Amino acid sequence: MSIRTESLITVARPRRRAISLALWLDREAVFSWMMMALPLIFLAALVGYPLVYGVLLSLEHRSVGKPATFIGLENFITDFHDPIFWRVAVNTFVYTIAATLLKMVGGLALALAMNQHFRMKNLIRALLLLPFIVPTVLSTVAWMWMLDPAFSVVNRLLIAVGATPPGPSWLGNPVLAMFSIIMINTWRGLPFYGITLLAGLQTVSPELYEAATIDGASGWQRFRFVTLPLLKPIILIVTLFSVIFTFADFQLVYVLTHGGPQNATQLFATYAFDIGMGAGQLGLGASVALMMLPALALLIVALTLYMRRA
Amino acid sequence: MVTGHGRVARLVQVWLPVGFFLVLALFPFYWMAITSIKPDSELYNRHLMPLLVHNPTLKHYVDLLTQTHFLVWTWNTMLVAVVSTAISLVLGTMLAYPLARMRFAGAGLIAIGVAAIYLVPQPLLFLPLADVINRLDLNNTLTAVILTYPTMLVPFCAWLLLGYFKTVPKELEEAARIDGASRLQTMRQIFLPLCTPGFISAGIFAFTLSQNEFLYALIFLTKSSVRTVPVGVIAELIRGDVFYWGQLMAAALLGSIPVALIYSFFVEHYVAGLTSGAVKG
Amino acid sequence: MGKSSRRDFLKIAVVGAAGAAGLPLRARAAGKTVTFLHETSFIQTFDDYMQNTLVPAYKKATGVEVVYELTSVGTSPTRVSTIIETGSGADIAIIFLLYPFLFADKLMDVSDIAEEVGKESGGWYPSAREAAVVDGKWKAIPHSNIGQLMNWRTDWFAEVGVKKFPETWEELYEVGKKLKAKDHPFGFELGHGFGDNHGWLYPLLWSYGGHEVEADGKTVVIDSDETAKAIDFARKFFKDCMFDDVLGWTDVSNNKAWMAEQISCTNNAESILWFAKRNFPDIGKVTDQAQNPAGPKGRFHLLQCQSHAIFDFSPVKAEAHAFLRWLMEEKQLGGWYASADSYYQPFLHAYDNAPMWQVEPRNIPYRDAMTSAHMPGWPAPPNRQLAESVAKYVIVDMFAKACTGTSTKDAIKTAETQLKNIYKAA
Repeated sequence: MSIRTESLITVARPRRRAISLALWLDREAVFSWMMMALPLIFLAALVGYPLVYGVLLSLEHRSVGKPATFIGLENFITDFHDPIFWRVAVNTFVYTIAATLLKMVGGLALALAMNQHFRMKNLIRALLLLPFIVPTVLSTVAWMWMLDPAFSVVNRLLIAVGATPPGPSWLGNPVLAMFSIIMINTWRGLPFYGITLLAGLQTVSPELYEAATIDGASGWQRFRFVTLPLLKPIILIVTLFSVIFTFADFQLVYVLTHGGPQNATQLFATYAFDIGMGAGQLGLGASVALMMLPALALLIVALTLYMRRA
Repeated sequence: MVTGHGRVARLVQVWLPVGFFLVLALFPFYWMAITSIKPDSELYNRHLMPLLVHNPTLKHYVDLLTQTHFLVWTWNTMLVAVVSTAISLVLGTMLAYPLARMRFAGAGLIAIGVAAIYLVPQPLLFLPLADVINRLDLNNTLTAVILTYPTMLVPFCAWLLLGYFKTVPKELEEAARIDGASRLQTMRQIFLPLCTPGFISAGIFAFTLSQNEFLYALIFLTKSSVRTVPVGVIAELIRGDVFYWGQLMAAALLGSIPVALIYSFFVEHYVAGLTSGAVKG
Repeated sequence: MGKSSRRDFLKIAVVGAAGAAGLPLRARAAGKTVTFLHETSFIQTFDDYMQNTLVPAYKKATGVEVVYELTSVGTSPTRVSTIIETGSGADIAIIFLLYPFLFADKLMDVSDIAEEVGKESGGWYPSAREAAVVDGKWKAIPHSNIGQLMNWRTDWFAEVGVKKFPETWEELYEVGKKLKAKDHPFGFELGHGFGDNHGWLYPLLWSYGGHEVEADGKTVVIDSDETAKAIDFARKFFKDCMFDDVLGWTDVSNNKAWMAEQISCTNNAESILWFAKRNFPDIGKVTDQAQNPAGPKGRFHLLQCQSHAIFDFSPVKAEAHAFLRWLMEEKQLGGWYASADSYYQPFLHAYDNAPMWQVEPRNIPYRDAMTSAHMPGWPAPPNRQLAESVAKYVIVDMFAKACTGTSTKDAIKTAETQLKNIYKAA
């Protein structure tokens, strides 16, 4: 592939004032800020403003339709004394960590498996994305049936090998319920992880592998010393976002169990929604939602620092 | 990656793992498909094997397509998804390129800021956003969601593209700069074409998230004619505590399989090894 | 091109561009428009009646256009919250449960309509006042109750020698034990749904004499012997008559279980019978409905009142007021009720003997239950603390925890801690 440098030079020969303007625009800082201006304005208006609003809300006693009264940190104190709040925190962490680990490992495995040449690869790749494509509310509805002991194929199998009917209650038993939502979230998110990592794998130059092979590296060593380091940035980013998404997950739990049984699957987002929308307590709901930030912020900072070093 | 030789090796290396993932991913779709063609009498029958259907019927599909506005919702969903994705990719690139390639004061802060903004969950944002949408008088228009979806898509696209951009070797851009190209030209003519895999990945993600979105659509779109599929389906196929399961599953399949097929064509168009070719040649 | 035609061209261009961009045009028809927000009715013909009969009739009579806007079931709280917060979006809306109290400040005082209609139509059930009167003023006009009553399989009950639905919880328990042994267990929701759990748990609590708070709406009195008795009953009811899955049920689960012939008794609104009659007639034939059983302190039901409220900030609130008054006249209201197969139980005595009850006599218990129906939190009037306690499933989880191994004492203690935390500001 050749670059038509001559044509570039031709284009880059403007007049005097235009030269200084063009040079100014070409300065790193100027170029960068000009380029970022539009997206930043957009985000400031449609996310920044609501965020500030949300923070203010959490510091107020605010019932729907009623004026606000500033109460400082009282909402947070209420949350600290709320046993459900702590359960929610634990649930969300467990859910996020377990699902993310499964997705990361599984996604990597999927990417490696798919990074080979075989027929119908594109079709298969698209089909593998189906769990991610199908609207969550709808696939969750399907899972409601699949997890109903009366209809579940897994339960039938277990009964056939000796379990007492009707078999495990996937959504009625608190531990199994958490297990179920972790599994469904993994099912939904793993393909995305995999396909993204796959794209990353495909930007790795085959020459690097060839060089490594010539140097005598085995498959595993190639993976560890060539693939993994190059994939690191992408793995980190996808993990970062997967963590954020999973932490803030709403639809799955809302439709499947609505936080039950006995708050075993209640997450920050669903709990905040119930308090804000169900009880009309916007300030308290905002305070619960905001409690997601400290934990995630720490995580982001840690990952960002790591990335800047790498 | 170097592939193994022989049919057995091929089976183990390729088809076993791929097949494993295929089964895991697609089993629920088999269930959805079966449910969507089962008459209610079979569906609710606990004693039948759920994975088989004895008297398949297309009634659920017919009802879905004729008695609900499913096709309208599908059109709305696709339109919103395409436009939101386009907006998000453009804005995302505009954020990511400087962060990936330039050094300037405040870069780190912006990076963290964008990610931090992304931490704000939808249940917190939707009230103030509803206020904004209301003031702009955009209720019950697709513009409302086209405007708000990028709020959740742009940060992700920016970060994902940032990751890709960093893996692209700098040699080509440096060569262009030496040859006198401006930064803008370098970015547009040299750099961006190399990032197609990244755009496709980010685009697929953005598109999917868009067509899957529920909360904002629920708040802003209450008229059936402007609804998107997730909201429309929930609104009309779930009445109180009665779910129209067969139709719900039909909607699930009709809403996702065509999209997957479109993806499979799209994805054909990016060429692996583009970068290595450029460096060699 | 003259100046005016250029201006016209510009206008058309702007309008065209706005239309293309999906921005709504500000043009309003000459007459007034009243937007009436409702939830999609479970019964299609009910919505059709409003849309095709009542709306045109009103237009003809007054020239006012009523826009009957439907939002999906369960989404009206969110919609109404947004409307309240942003100050526009609809003029009258359906609101229910605790919302008249939460939103009282922003709702128009409609005591005049309530008084007149009460006089015209035989008087209100006391529970109507419980549902819609805030500080002595009617803030909404109750439209209907969505009762939560017992659904039972007459054929299976007959197999164990029971022809009439049991009168007391204890008697029901005995029947349940026998039926579970025959693989026809009961299925009462103990998960995080909304109607089918509160629908039996609050009445159960009350029927044993337990209460969340005193009538003052402040003092938490959940820790009592009466509550303990209710919990002990619930525990054995669950263990001996039901199965594990009910702990994770949401409102749709018992409907599903009924059609799958998995359960012989549950607490539900009229949707099970309605659906069964249409889709599983054989099951429909053996499905009957009955009032909740009584406990030592009486028989109770959960009040789930749907009302119509006018937003005080509506620019057309006078027109909305007039429409609501018209709607509540027997000619209109009676027709509207009748279009829904007695699914909605009216709060006015004039309809106690309406022909619609004869269409499906099995719905009559829903009418009779209205005299013993109360808002959750009874005997205290609803307030925002109650809304929080309900949204946090305090009572539901108290019973559910007890059923899964927590001691009665601990279950009550946890609930008490939560309630004290919630009501401390009261």
